[in-house]
Amino acid sequence: MQERLNEIQNQAKDELAKAESLEEVETIKTRYLGRKGGVITDIIKSIPSLPPEQRSSTGKSANILKQEIGTWIEDAKGRFADKEQASDSKKMFDLSLPGEQKPYGHKHPLTQTIDEIKGIFKKLCFDIEYGPEVEHEYYNFDALNIPADHPSREDFDTFYLGNKRLLRSQTSTVQIRVMEKTKPPIRMIAPGKVFRPDTVDARHASMFHQIEGLMVDEGVSFSDLKYVLTLFAQSYFGQDIKMRFRPSFFPFTEPSAEIDISCSLCKGKGCSVCSQSGWVEVLGAGMVDPNVFDTVGYDSEKYTGFAFGIGVERLTMLKYGIDNIRLFFENDLRFLSQF
Amino acid sequence: MKISCNWLKDYCKHDLSAEKLAEGLTNAGLVVDTINPVEDDFCLEVEVTSNRPDCLGFVGVAREVATIVRGKLDIPDVDYDTTDENINDITSVTIEDNELCRRYTARVIKDVKIGPSPEWLQRKISSIGLRPVNNIVDITNYVLMESGQPLHAFDFDKLSENRIVVRKAKKNETMEAIDGSKCVLSDEMLVIADSQKPVAIAGIMGGKETEVSGTTTNILLESAFFDPRSVRRASRKLSLMSDSSYRFERRVDPECVDWASRRATKMILEIAGGQAVEGVIDQNHLEDNKVSVSLKMSRLNGLLGLQIEKDTAKVILENLQFKINSETEDGFSVDVPSFRGDVYREVDLIEEVARIHGYDKIPVKNSIGVKLSQDNRFDKITEKTKNVISGLGFNEVVTDSIVGDSQDRHGTIWSETGGLKILNPIRQDENLLRKALVHNLLRVKKHNQNYGVEKTDIYELSKVYLPKEDDQLPEEKECLCVLGEDGYLALKGVIEAILRHLNIEEDLESAHFDFGLFSSEKSAELRLGNSVLGFIGELSREVINDYDFRSKPCVAELDFNVLMDKTKLEGSYQKIPSLPIVTRDFAVVSDEKVTWAEIKGCIESLKIDYVDDIEFFDVYRGKQIEKGRKSIAFRIIFRADDKTLKSEEVDILQEKILASLNSSLGVSLRA
Repeated sequence: MQERLNEIQNQAKDELAKAESLEEVETIKTRYLGRKGGVITDIIKSIPSLPPEQRSSTGKSANILKQEIGTWIEDAKGRFADKEQASDSKKMFDLSLPGEQKPYGHKHPLTQTIDEIKGIFKKLCFDIEYGPEVEHEYYNFDALNIPADHPSREDFDTFYLGNKRLLRSQTSTVQIRVMEKTKPPIRMIAPGKVFRPDTVDARHASMFHQIEGLMVDEGVSFSDLKYVLTLFAQSYFGQDIKMRFRPSFFPFTEPSAEIDISCSLCKGKGCSVCSQSGWVEVLGAGMVDPNVFDTVGYDSEKYTGFAFGIGVERLTMLKYGIDNIRLFFENDLRFLSQF
Repeated sequence: MKISCNWLKDYCKHDLSAEKLAEGLTNAGLVVDTINPVEDDFCLEVEVTSNRPDCLGFVGVAREVATIVRGKLDIPDVDYDTTDENINDITSVTIEDNELCRRYTARVIKDVKIGPSPEWLQRKISSIGLRPVNNIVDITNYVLMESGQPLHAFDFDKLSENRIVVRKAKKNETMEAIDGSKCVLSDEMLVIADSQKPVAIAGIMGGKETEVSGTTTNILLESAFFDPRSVRRASRKLSLMSDSSYRFERRVDPECVDWASRRATKMILEIAGGQAVEGVIDQNHLEDNKVSVSLKMSRLNGLLGLQIEKDTAKVILENLQFKINSETEDGFSVDVPSFRGDVYREVDLIEEVARIHGYDKIPVKNSIGVKLSQDNRFDKITEKTKNVISGLGFNEVVTDSIVGDSQDRHGTIWSETGGLKILNPIRQDENLLRKALVHNLLRVKKHNQNYGVEKTDIYELSKVYLPKEDDQLPEEKECLCVLGEDGYLALKGVIEAILRHLNIEEDLESAHFDFGLFSSEKSAELRLGNSVLGFIGELSREVINDYDFRSKPCVAELDFNVLMDKTKLEGSYQKIPSLPIVTRDFAVVSDEKVTWAEIKGCIESLKIDYVDDIEFFDVYRGKQIEKGRKSIAFRIIFRADDKTLKSEEVDILQEKILASLNSSLGVSLRA
């Protein structure tokens, strides 16, 4: 009996391999597994009539073979089903259909800029610090060596809340707060919101973001300032940008500098973004004024340092070619979802 | 300030092209914004920083040029002849406020012929954009631009009693200015008056009535030093700005006051004829403070990271007209010229040397050493939170901290007291600091809806400002506000996702919360343990109508500090169970009043070790369910750590659970 089964196994395998259509497979299926007259079916039906010692082993083998042939038949069917579907134009799967829309939210472009800048300065071993947005006049002006009659103190340049409180007009306030509670060496940046009562237009908003930076230690020089800010600018804008450090004025630094980079749009040839100069201003910086050190109780003979300020909106606008600062605060999703 | 290249050569000869000159000035700190060709000349637009008023005149800029090119500075001669008549016999100057007017000089020139200026003068002032008026006015403008010292010429005969009184204006006193504007003055403004009335607003603009006209023959020439702050205030208050006010606001050179007056007098005599009356009235209340500063080369080189010689520094400072008064081995001391009020310390001299030597010559270091920077917990948690919410499809927005009073219209979340008031807002209807974020997000939603964006899933993580007593700084509370368009449970799911990612183990509890912004049915106070995490709710019909929303947004505002407190940044690894679980699905019927929290709590209170998780499916109300009751479907996952649970064991537990639900909550299996 076992021999007979082996024979059937080989035959069925062979026939199914040679089958050329779905109909042929169906015929083979009926021939072997059909309820009436199927070769295997008949063998299984005949088991009770076999001698008792053969019944069990034959039954097992026959059932295994039945399953085996069943699998082969399904495989063979599959072979033709694929072809059939492909040739059936009514059922064709349109590969060009768009994928399902999976929602993915975007972080605000200003957040992305701040995160990127924080990342760069973390690599340079700078800490991240924060300070209050509503401040005492002391931190916004007095401690920063801004004289009592300085124009930036006038109420058309700073929002006042009464009782010597104001909305900070610069993140430099955090310099003072950090130096008050920490001894040198210091390396820190402080991102945050600042406020000025500017008339709102394409370039001015009454609220915007700055990142203040500060490095203080013995022997820190202008040469270090140039190094750190060059690394930053190359990291943010690309290795091949050119930089220009030129003298400027801030009450809390001396000497002070403004830093331009070669205009990325026109490659320094001159265009509307750089007002034909080939340069775009990106940073203000300088060596911390000794008066500031005196105010926070640092020995200005022993310690030197530099500070810098970055305009977050400006950098973002430069990087993406955004021409209107108001877009950041209107929060139109058609704008936000581009970043 | 506009600088004509040709005109500038009157004071310093050089061979630089306009471009090279612009580059040189920019590198020395006088940024040239634009170079405009004007006929055979170039006009440079120079940006002068507020510490350098000495460069608000051609001579000052020429001084910089002379230093850059190491050339010679030519200052015009100011000597002239006078008549025998003495000025004190024909006029007088009375200063009532020495603080606001610290120096006032007057000269009188008689029998001048008013007429157009000669062509060379007209061309010069035109080249920097000034309009020629008549010879006298043109000369005062010319000397103003040359020296940076503003001058004013009065028609001497129109001054009542021919005398000058410098005083504060009377309240609501009026004057018509030269430009035709009618100024209503207030009593803190300084005016130049005759015996009767104001004839000029000090430092800002002269009056129409006494201006030099075609019929003028005698002139009183004013050159003065006015208090910068008071000029600035008056100018802003009157919205009246002029080339004069611009310079007085920045402080003029006290020693140039008289020089400019003499220079203009000499030019008037040469161009408009007439005779100068002998002498000058010079009321000078300026303190004579000569400043002397010393410089150590070791300090200079150390601060800049440079190695330059003492002689180099000396030459630079001498060219800038600092006078060396003594010298040591490592340095020297200088007298500071009167026009450099910004220089009074060693570091100021270091800057002078650095900017002329050139910032580009300062080497770039190539190492700053390493230091371990501190991790910032706030940053880490913020970043995680934003990643989760953005990952769930929400867009981050950034809105203005300054809002209007509508923020209290539908009730307040974090504080009952009114928002902190800005005393000088840009717009009177937006003069408060926000006390919550939610209203701003509703406005963003509205803006987007107006532009056709219907689904606005957004969030903001920012500060709100809660007033404290008296003059204290407010509490700046970091809040997270989320606005979602998929209903209450979807939004609650977002919050739960955040809690999971921050490894917050405490259960999020919801309690009913009545708040005008939210619908009374779907609004809750959210709690974590004993802390109020925040609020969540579907907007009330009233608010939806108010904003004209076409959808039914749901909003949550959370106290981010509570999230921060509960966050565990270092979560620990939980072993993945290897033994199979047994699940049982339940459909139970309960009274409407029974909450899911009660059902879940009831099962948990049995403290069955093998209950691994209880998963809510849905709530059903419908035909098959009796009115006033609901069907709740859920699944319980059973698991043991040490063995494979048998079906019979679970059957027993299931019975126990159902029995308890029934006895304590009246919940029964759905038939």
